[in-house]
Amino acid sequence: MIDEQMAVFIGSGLRLAVPIIFAATGEMLSERAGVLNLSLDGMMLMSAFTAALASWATGSPLIGVAAGVLVATALAAVQAVLSVTLRANQLVVGIGFNILALGSTTFLYREIFGPLSRDPIPGFAQLNLPWLAHIPVIGPALANQTGLAYVSILMVVVTWLILKYTSFGLAVRAVGEDPRAADKAGISVAKTRYLGVLYAGILAGLGGAFMSVADSNTFTENMTKGAGYLAITAVIFGGWNPWYTLAACLLFGFATALQFLVPALQLDVPVALLLLLPYLLALVAIAGFVGKSRQPSALTIPFERGG
Amino acid sequence: MAVLELSGLTKRFGAFTALDDISLQIERGEVHCLLGENGAGKSTLCNLVFGVHRPDAGTMTLGGEPFHPRGPAEALQRGVVMVHQHFSLVPNMSVAENLMLGRASAVLKPQDIIVRMEQLAAEYGLEIDPEARIEDLSVGERQRVEIIKCLLGDPQLLVLDEPTAVLQPDEIDALLAICRQVALRGKSVILVTHKLGEISRVADRTTVLRQGRIIETVAMEGADIRSLVRSMVGRDVQSAGSVLAAAVDIEGKTPVKPSGDAGPASPGEAVLEISDLVYRDPHGVPRLDGLSLTVGTGEIVGIAGVEGNGQTELGLILAGLAAPSAGAIVVGGTSVGGCSPQEITDAGVGIVPEDRHAVACIKELSVAENLFLGAIGKFSRFGLLDKSARRKAAEAMMRDFDVRASSPDVSMASLSGGNQQKAVLARELSLDPLVFLLAAQPTRGLDVGAIEAVYNRIRAARDDGLGVLLISSELEELMAVSDRIAVIYRGKLVGELAAGSFSREAIGAMMSGHAHV
Repeated sequence: MIDEQMAVFIGSGLRLAVPIIFAATGEMLSERAGVLNLSLDGMMLMSAFTAALASWATGSPLIGVAAGVLVATALAAVQAVLSVTLRANQLVVGIGFNILALGSTTFLYREIFGPLSRDPIPGFAQLNLPWLAHIPVIGPALANQTGLAYVSILMVVVTWLILKYTSFGLAVRAVGEDPRAADKAGISVAKTRYLGVLYAGILAGLGGAFMSVADSNTFTENMTKGAGYLAITAVIFGGWNPWYTLAACLLFGFATALQFLVPALQLDVPVALLLLLPYLLALVAIAGFVGKSRQPSALTIPFERGG
Repeated sequence: MAVLELSGLTKRFGAFTALDDISLQIERGEVHCLLGENGAGKSTLCNLVFGVHRPDAGTMTLGGEPFHPRGPAEALQRGVVMVHQHFSLVPNMSVAENLMLGRASAVLKPQDIIVRMEQLAAEYGLEIDPEARIEDLSVGERQRVEIIKCLLGDPQLLVLDEPTAVLQPDEIDALLAICRQVALRGKSVILVTHKLGEISRVADRTTVLRQGRIIETVAMEGADIRSLVRSMVGRDVQSAGSVLAAAVDIEGKTPVKPSGDAGPASPGEAVLEISDLVYRDPHGVPRLDGLSLTVGTGEIVGIAGVEGNGQTELGLILAGLAAPSAGAIVVGGTSVGGCSPQEITDAGVGIVPEDRHAVACIKELSVAENLFLGAIGKFSRFGLLDKSARRKAAEAMMRDFDVRASSPDVSMASLSGGNQQKAVLARELSLDPLVFLLAAQPTRGLDVGAIEAVYNRIRAARDDGLGVLLISSELEELMAVSDRIAVIYRGKLVGELAAGSFSREAIGAMMSGHAHV
């Protein structure tokens, strides 16, 4: 009984961590290039909605994911124009996007699906990987995930490789740390930052699409519930390092999953407190880690060439 | 054959013409010096050649082909490289990573860079550890990395913007030798400086700039140094005295006290006593490591040292902008270590901080407001500000200290650097009580006329019985103004010289850590 509940807990913890892993990994790269996308949550929400809509309309969850990623990337492109080219305040732009995303998805959802619709949406089946299932305790939880969940881990590896072993990664780090030096070394600061923001958009799109098409097979109003903000927190918590960021995302995922485990174990803890837990953790993480781990020196500072 | 040819180049910033109709040829294999005072347009010219700025008029050709770089990337592609006054290295990356930055290849190949570094080390004697982090390197080493970065791609033209300002004397010699090596291999070098001493040692030709115009271009063989100085400052060096000679560092000329200077008033009782001062930065690195120093009344004590050896931190602590980790500071009998800036001011300390723009004044406020920044209450009547009284007081102060501005109500930002600094000096020297003055890099970025004014003010303050601590990276300045020079190295004083026994060699040796013999 306990074992079974543990398996469910681990499985749901992983599942809940996946969208945060996607978003945080992309955001980490963008922040290493010096651009903070506070609009991450909005990108995820727009993608979740678009993926649900496209999957519902075409019957193909794959097309759904593609549509979601496309919309999130388009949003990222606008964010990049505003924060890189027009040098707008990145925080203000981000907040604006999030409000726009929440308002527009809620409106369109009610128009298209009708209020409080619970129509199921064609989604991905869970893979069943027998070679993983044999691992004790965590095996069954690891083996029964959708393909996208494995992609999220793959993206962490890819992002780490990019940052460490490619000249694009080196350019990203240089541009986020000392854009003036990078510029004088012949690197296009704007181009590098655009690519960074678009990368964040693609991954946030995957994360958002995962929520509607791969996880819950439905769309609900404000279904991200601040996952984008948690992802930004995870990047800080993880000290802008891909592996520590992954660890922070898993922590948030499992903290969220406690709301299923604790009642199942019939422990007397208010559910409201459990719902609050990941956000409380995020607050503690920010309070404890901001300033201690070194952020990219040029984070949120627009670049302007000068003498 | 000319590598670079400029004709009719003009560059304006708003209403200010930084460069006016510049025509110039740089030959293959020559070291060409650009000489001029601050603001003469040297850096602007370099930035045009390197594509940082674009000219408003005129044309450039490189190797016979039209050359109009739209950015540094394009200049680099054409074989023009530049070492900037402020280094462009990413501090928390390794040497090898910095060298790989911006070089085409999708996947990083650190091994290739290390091989190339070994070649350059053999060819030019430029050795450095590829794994070292930039932030752990000395200023001289960082500059070496910059030069290696420039030479990696086998350039045609190397531009060095004020490369010697941050170096100690033996590093300057090494740099000039490298310049010659580079020129010997058929590349051209543009060396920007306002120091004549360096020019005569390394240049083939020199172009003198003044107020954005070319005054003359001369071959250095058999050139008359004095006439170069005249072209540079637009007046006779003799009439300006030794201060000017010191400011431009004329080779072989030992700075002497100007006639009429009575020399040090015999220093009286100690007005500043620092004992065993220790300061650790937020990372725990000791920046000051048991420094002890005494300044008497009527005495100017100069602090010499290569930048980054603790003099900046000493200035910050004396100004109350950083708290010492250990040790004591006593001014006129009052302990001020770790006190707030207000308490330090009340103890009679005037401060001319190193960073004029960030700390000494509020550029958006008016000159009058800046002059009485610390004494707002003085012009308050029943809680209201008496602006006309303040205006009158400001006018008097501006007259006394020769601060040139159209009115006390114009913003500080509209003043030249020299006048801003004179305003800061006016404010600090008008404090009451006043027993001690700290002047940190007081002439940085000023033109020769303003430098003289600042020196005269500091000397006058000394003659009035003030103790003065002068922190400067300009050796010539220290030798011309100080009564005593103490040399700082790695957060400690390593030696002291009294006026009359100053020598570049002795101070230079101590600056690099060799204790005074």
